[in-house]
Amino acid sequence: MARITIHVNGRAVSGDVDERMLLLEFIRDVAGLTGTHAGCYEARCGCCVVEMDGASVKSCNVLALQADGLSVFTVESMSQQRLAPVEHITTQSLAGVYQPLEAMSSNSRDLHPLQAAFHRCHALQCGFCTPGMLMVLKNFLEENPRPSREQVRMAISGNLCRCTGYQHIVDAAMQAAAVMHPDPA
Amino acid sequence: MTPFTYRRPAHLNEAVSLLAAGTATTKLLAGGQSLLLALKERALRPTCVLSLASLSELAGVRTASDGCLDIGATTTYATLARSSFSGWHAEIAAVAGNLADRSVRSLGTIGGGICQADPRFDMPTLLTAAGARMDLVAASGRRCLAADEFFNANGGTHMTASEILTRISIPAVQALDALAFEKFRFRAFEAAVVSVACALKLGGDGRIASARLVVGAVAKAPLKAIATAAALVGRRPADLRIEEVGAQVAAEVAPLRAEQPLRQRYQSELTISLTAKALARAAAQARGN
Repeated sequence: MARITIHVNGRAVSGDVDERMLLLEFIRDVAGLTGTHAGCYEARCGCCVVEMDGASVKSCNVLALQADGLSVFTVESMSQQRLAPVEHITTQSLAGVYQPLEAMSSNSRDLHPLQAAFHRCHALQCGFCTPGMLMVLKNFLEENPRPSREQVRMAISGNLCRCTGYQHIVDAAMQAAAVMHPDPA
Repeated sequence: MTPFTYRRPAHLNEAVSLLAAGTATTKLLAGGQSLLLALKERALRPTCVLSLASLSELAGVRTASDGCLDIGATTTYATLARSSFSGWHAEIAAVAGNLADRSVRSLGTIGGGICQADPRFDMPTLLTAAGARMDLVAASGRRCLAADEFFNANGGTHMTASEILTRISIPAVQALDALAFEKFRFRAFEAAVVSVACALKLGGDGRIASARLVVGAVAKAPLKAIATAAALVGRRPADLRIEEVGAQVAAEVAPLRAEQPLRQRYQSELTISLTAKALARAAAQARGN
């Protein structure tokens, strides 16, 4: 066992963990944030992508010990409202926590521009790959403000989506890029 | 995974002595993108995992006084891809930015990749063509291996279990006039089916003074087409019949035989076209200098 501290979404989370614990397991089981999905556990599907020290990484292929002392951001950090935990899920409790998606705008309070674009473009069906897609695209778009569709496809080449055929995900990324980095003119 | 202890030494000396204390049961962890996959499948069962993340001696890229590009073993592919290297060194950044996928590149390291020495990986092929040298350190001392001596023809490397790869030294820009790498893979994030790297050095008369043609993924280590490369010497890059050279390289390193499995026959054909592409690009680059 080892005592480690990881700063998850700006909050210091400490835990006594087994050496074999993956960063993914730390985020889900110790930090209690289940937005990061556990897909394949072999660094293929990309559902577990989080940002570690400013770089997108597949959290199923990192030991929690490797992230000791580092800061990690998960999909929950993309918009503030998602940080509010829902203890008991019913239609009423969710209605109290979440606004209707139509009422949300693209800002840090409601939805990240990328999340809003995913909603607008129908870029998800079952939603399992979405946390990974969002995290890798956010990281990519912050580094590449004006990508081509081809570059977006290469950026998500490590993320598998079995529902959408990627077309709408690429559409959403292109729209989000325009919102995140509006033309100077 | 089977249980292990985790050590993260702060100094290279400490890492070397920890490794010497348990060579057979210790595994080195750089980015972990290959190691963790093996641990999870229990293909490897180390009792100690030694992280190299805190060793400053293994980090960063610098240009040595003699012009060599000195790359720390724990430099990630993402860092290399973002680097602006001059001349043919830029090909190293280009290759680093076009392998695996974005999230794997942020952790995967060049040193980890070549110590893993999977022949389908890009860096072994590229570094062999570039004439790179690997610096190794062990409790018994340091040594330096050329890429040809580093990769074992029977798979893996010639490193001993007590050695740590510290730095990779790429010859100065003047050492070559062109370096081009081409590969084929079925999906963007997959390892190469075949990769080819071509390095050219021209003489003062504009003719090829030396050439290296290296093919990856067709054998257990990068293969050099030595005879074909020697035959290029004295020719002008503009006069090369690149398709013919491609066929010669394939005949030398991956000859086409009817009784071969389909994959090997496919690799042989890919070698022809990839060599032609790499050579065409290298020839254009060399003429442009």
